[in-house]
Amino acid sequence: MTVEKILLEFDVELKNLLPALKKINASFGYVSEMDAQKVADYFSMSLSKVYETASFYDLIKTKPQPPLVIQVCSGANCAVKNAYKVIVEIENQLHIKAGDDFNPNVKLEIISCLGQCGRGPIMIINKKIFTQVTPSSAREILQNYM
Amino acid sequence: MKKETKIITKNWGQIDPNEIDDSIEVGGYQALEKFIHKMTPVLALEEIKLSGLCGRGGAGFPTGMKLESVQKEKSKEKYFICNLDESEPGTYKDRSIVDNDPHMLLEGVIIESLIVGARKAFVYVNGNYQRQIEILQRAVEQAQEKRILGEKILGSRYSLEVEIFAGAGAYICGEETALINSIEGNRGEPKSRPPFPTQVGLFGKPTAVNNAETVANIPWIISNGGKKYAAIGSKKSAGTKLFIVNGSVKNPDVFEAPLGTKLSDLIEKYAGGMQKGKNFWFAQVGGSSGRLVLEKDLVRKLEYDREAKVPLGSGAILVVDKTVDIHELLLSWMSFFHRESCGKCVPCREGTFRLWEIAKRLQDGQVSERDVAAIKDILWTLSNTTFCPLGKFAATAFGDAISNFQKEIYKLSR
Repeated sequence: MTVEKILLEFDVELKNLLPALKKINASFGYVSEMDAQKVADYFSMSLSKVYETASFYDLIKTKPQPPLVIQVCSGANCAVKNAYKVIVEIENQLHIKAGDDFNPNVKLEIISCLGQCGRGPIMIINKKIFTQVTPSSAREILQNYM
Repeated sequence: MKKETKIITKNWGQIDPNEIDDSIEVGGYQALEKFIHKMTPVLALEEIKLSGLCGRGGAGFPTGMKLESVQKEKSKEKYFICNLDESEPGTYKDRSIVDNDPHMLLEGVIIESLIVGARKAFVYVNGNYQRQIEILQRAVEQAQEKRILGEKILGSRYSLEVEIFAGAGAYICGEETALINSIEGNRGEPKSRPPFPTQVGLFGKPTAVNNAETVANIPWIISNGGKKYAAIGSKKSAGTKLFIVNGSVKNPDVFEAPLGTKLSDLIEKYAGGMQKGKNFWFAQVGGSSGRLVLEKDLVRKLEYDREAKVPLGSGAILVVDKTVDIHELLLSWMSFFHRESCGKCVPCREGTFRLWEIAKRLQDGQVSERDVAAIKDILWTLSNTTFCPLGKFAATAFGDAISNFQKEIYKLSR
């Protein structure tokens, strides 16, 4: 699948810009500057306009992502169930800080509600969802990814 | 106990969300038939106005008034948008509606679109709700096969196209002008009003934006009449509401209860009371942007009322017990608002960022006198000068916590 092929699936209408960016992001993991330029040409708009939109949304990345992305929900419902203790545990295990993207191999992101509050705290590793995570179960889960 | 009135949840658990026939068997799309064969858009709007239905997304604006102002517009092109960009922490009522009865939602979308005269409707779904997007897509396809959607609906002169639009993970897109910006391919930042979206909305055309729960109420109102709906609930606000009770209760879940239900009843009767060995401390009503309710205010009725001390918001209720560390909650609220602040206006962008920093220092016990003074300033600025309600919401819970739990919050620092 090339960017050109993806773009051809969409009509040249403004409402298709966001879906097109999302699809490129899903196929390549992020939207590079070169791809963004192709999108801009296809929709006849400036590169800055495409970047403006792409950089705003959480689900569209403008930088390559590390192979291991860990996300932990810290919405209030997960927070009252010790989500922060899980975050600290992961930070200590992997020697990273939440939110930093200096490490090329792993990234820890804090996210908000995904509507799974009944089963919190929620941890997502490379899109796989783990529910009712505790600091010790988080350690065990991480071991499988090391 | 009185017989429970169920409007939105009446088919939950009885039908397969992926089968339109299941839904039709239990009376789905009968309201649409009634609307098409026996009613006019004006007549149907009268019923909705009579019902007193208010927007269920949080603001509680009368739905009838909103639809009327779009219906009155003379433009040939109009749009209807169902707002399912639910991302308020602790809120998953709209997701539950799609999981259990997507066709009731779709029926509501069709009826409302036809009432305002739209030929194109969007359902804006939170981008993280992958499964729900698939369910809705299937529902739309099945409805098209049955000729409930598309050209000449059920053999009438009405036509409608429904598009499921997946968002890309931005909380602010739940605000209607931001949502419209997002569909147009722009950054999801709110626009100034007026002009209101009901006059100049999506692609510059009149647009009605309704929350998904509001939409799901419409088929019942059309079938049973507005008067009957107005009789449910309290004097000030009619109908039922989905409440999501979570936290330290025995059975956290989504419950449908008439508006005007007491908070204590919701916790005790619906959610089974507090978990064993846990003592009630406070409850937060309306998700992370909601106010804190102490024990003495538990008897308050939950309803849409502009003067209410406890605004209902999205209907999410988080019950907090005394074992919870308040610092973690402060940090959770502020990291959420700091992340989701769109960056358009300075008071919100900087205010949420600074409060987040202070919340981190509070947790480490390193807060200075200067921080304590700054908190007051920042809270005032957030609640009075921000462009859209997000800034105000960011200050609500934090402000309530600072004024009620001073001792606990500054415990580590002094």
